[in-house]
Amino acid sequence: MAVEFVESDWDVRHMLKLMVNSAAYRQDSRATAAKRAADPDNRLLSRGPRYRLDAEVLRDQALVVGGLLQRRIGGPGVRPYQPKGVWKDVAFAGSNTREYQADSGTALYRRTLYTFWKRTSPPPSMAVFDAPTREQCTVRRERTNTPLQALVLMNDPQYVEAARGLAQQAVKRADVDAERARWMFRRALARAASDVDVDVEQLVAAAGVFRKQFTGDPKAADKLLGVGASPKPDGLDAIECASWTMVANLLMNRDDFLNVE
Amino acid sequence: MSGSFCDNVDSSRRTFLAGAGLGAAALSTMLTEDALADRSTHFSPRARRVIWLFMAGAPSQLDTLDHKPGLQKLFDKDLPDSIRGAQRLTTMTSSQPRFPIAPSVFRFPRHGDCGKPVSELFPRVGSMADELAFVHTIHTDAINHDPAITLIQTGNQTAGHPSLGAWLSYGLGTMNRNLPSFVVLNCEPRGQALYSRLWGSGFLASRHAGVAFRSQGDPVLYLSNPAGVSRDVRRVMIERLRAMNETILARGGDPETQARIAQYEMAFRMQASVPELVDISGESKSTLEMYGEQATQPGTFAANCLLARRMAERDVRFIQVFHRGWDHHGSLPKNIRRQAGEVDQPAWALVQDLKQRGLLDDTLVIWGGEFGRTVYSQGTLTRSDYGRDHHPRCYSMWFAGGGTAGGVSYGRTDDFSYNIVENPVHIRDLNATILHLLGIDHRRLSVKYQGLDHRLTGVLPARVVKPILA
Repeated sequence: MAVEFVESDWDVRHMLKLMVNSAAYRQDSRATAAKRAADPDNRLLSRGPRYRLDAEVLRDQALVVGGLLQRRIGGPGVRPYQPKGVWKDVAFAGSNTREYQADSGTALYRRTLYTFWKRTSPPPSMAVFDAPTREQCTVRRERTNTPLQALVLMNDPQYVEAARGLAQQAVKRADVDAERARWMFRRALARAASDVDVDVEQLVAAAGVFRKQFTGDPKAADKLLGVGASPKPDGLDAIECASWTMVANLLMNRDDFLNVE
Repeated sequence: MSGSFCDNVDSSRRTFLAGAGLGAAALSTMLTEDALADRSTHFSPRARRVIWLFMAGAPSQLDTLDHKPGLQKLFDKDLPDSIRGAQRLTTMTSSQPRFPIAPSVFRFPRHGDCGKPVSELFPRVGSMADELAFVHTIHTDAINHDPAITLIQTGNQTAGHPSLGAWLSYGLGTMNRNLPSFVVLNCEPRGQALYSRLWGSGFLASRHAGVAFRSQGDPVLYLSNPAGVSRDVRRVMIERLRAMNETILARGGDPETQARIAQYEMAFRMQASVPELVDISGESKSTLEMYGEQATQPGTFAANCLLARRMAERDVRFIQVFHRGWDHHGSLPKNIRRQAGEVDQPAWALVQDLKQRGLLDDTLVIWGGEFGRTVYSQGTLTRSDYGRDHHPRCYSMWFAGGGTAGGVSYGRTDDFSYNIVENPVHIRDLNATILHLLGIDHRRLSVKYQGLDHRLTGVLPARVVKPILA
């Protein structure tokens, strides 16, 4: 590489092109057990990297998949959902950011780079995914894997609402479970479900169980569909929507949904 | 992190720990079961847990623990220049024409066999003087709240360094499988602000950051299932997720997938264990009475002390309770009465409760704030009223249990509690001592970051305060 750099007359662009077009760079992260054993830390670049998406990207991805993302560029920062009292817990008595007032309407669904950032109390759903505090330069983010992250992805209204959004689209588009599952899978993971259909079978089976649970408790279905500010589905069956919201919640917590592979 | 192309902090930690003998800590991930094995520490620990009752805003040592009876006859006299020296003052008092001495209005009855004088503001804390180690010569580098509280919490005045609790989580791993190893309990917002960086993980992985439990809504953020989702529905979801992730694991073979399966199950367990932890309905009447009336009011210092004990019982390693509102620039006698009134009984009850349950021997309890306060009055001085400005040169703290000695007083300040006469204890020494009690040599707990080997105690010399050890 060094010789190539010199011989290309120190052409940085050429070097970058060479690297990103290389076979090593373009690998995906799949690896056989043998490969993994031979190169456990990937020192030899025997496979591509596999890593969890960054905090902001995770939220943006959920908004896209749920059909909620606002693509408008620019403008002032916004305040999406945040649990009550998080700012107040640490605020100076006279602070003008003591009370958090969430925005409404489209401001709730803008890309996360527009999320208002209070440095003494960063958005907790970002901090938990290793978003830097912005108090000093961060060259490389940590990527941790914790139960608090699971709680955010399962329970934060932003993610629950996104799951509902995904479910509503699926229910609208198809009547057959397998078709809903197949569409949802493709929409979430940007690839077709696996050939043997194990992925689709798993989703369909889960939908059946959730359907049974919500049929036994229709009020619960209504409550779940009330999470988030976006309008409840009109003319769609509440039990179907709630059951598929849980399927979407399941899908959107899969390890391959959370990771770049 | 096998998916990464390069090393990260955790793999250098692995290298470090292998060399230093904290061996098995290597793979600890917050709350995962592989982290449960008992760590080998540098030497045998005296304390397994720490409860720090942090008095944010900085209580006056002159009105609480550092008795200066000689000041009474110096009321309203000017603080001698020879005492103040060239010390930098805050801009809140630097332009005062005078620095009149304000003796404490509080009596200091003597307590216990050790005969320790403790302010009448703390009758119950005083009553256990024979069980406490008092240090009167803590000193710090910062004179304002933000840098001072950041310094005492992280060993540095500037943001970006791990807090003590994060260092402990990193160095020692976790002792339980259902709860975080570092928990923060905030009391009613009052006075100076706090910052989440005070319990942050700095350059360590964020799993080492303190988890702030909350007194309203979910005790842990996002703990509850969304409306309409029962525990049964969640159980089905978790089971199905496990099956899917096992398929993904079989296909891809990434150990992080295995870890994620465990984290979801931990999250599901936390959904049961955390509500159980904060449910005090099983506490006996006598226990509740011991902590006082406020013990049943969430968010009070009393309620948080009780929770701290429940966490200690469940082997949360580091519990920090922040009680705010000690920044008494004016009307100190009135304001400090209320503050101490909230703290005295629950702090005493916590120590006694731990003792009764056999937990005090290996639980270190710490009481204190980020700096001290001036002997001279800020603003108008009368016989019954005065204020005190920030004072970093000396202040007092007390310690109980966890291998500290009882009835001991360490360090001496001058007649004005302005300068240290003997045995200074810098924040570094304080941290070195806490780590020592937990079995850690502060010189050997370090992390490579931005080209430096960072330690909680920094690069300047730090020493363990042996005379307060049992």
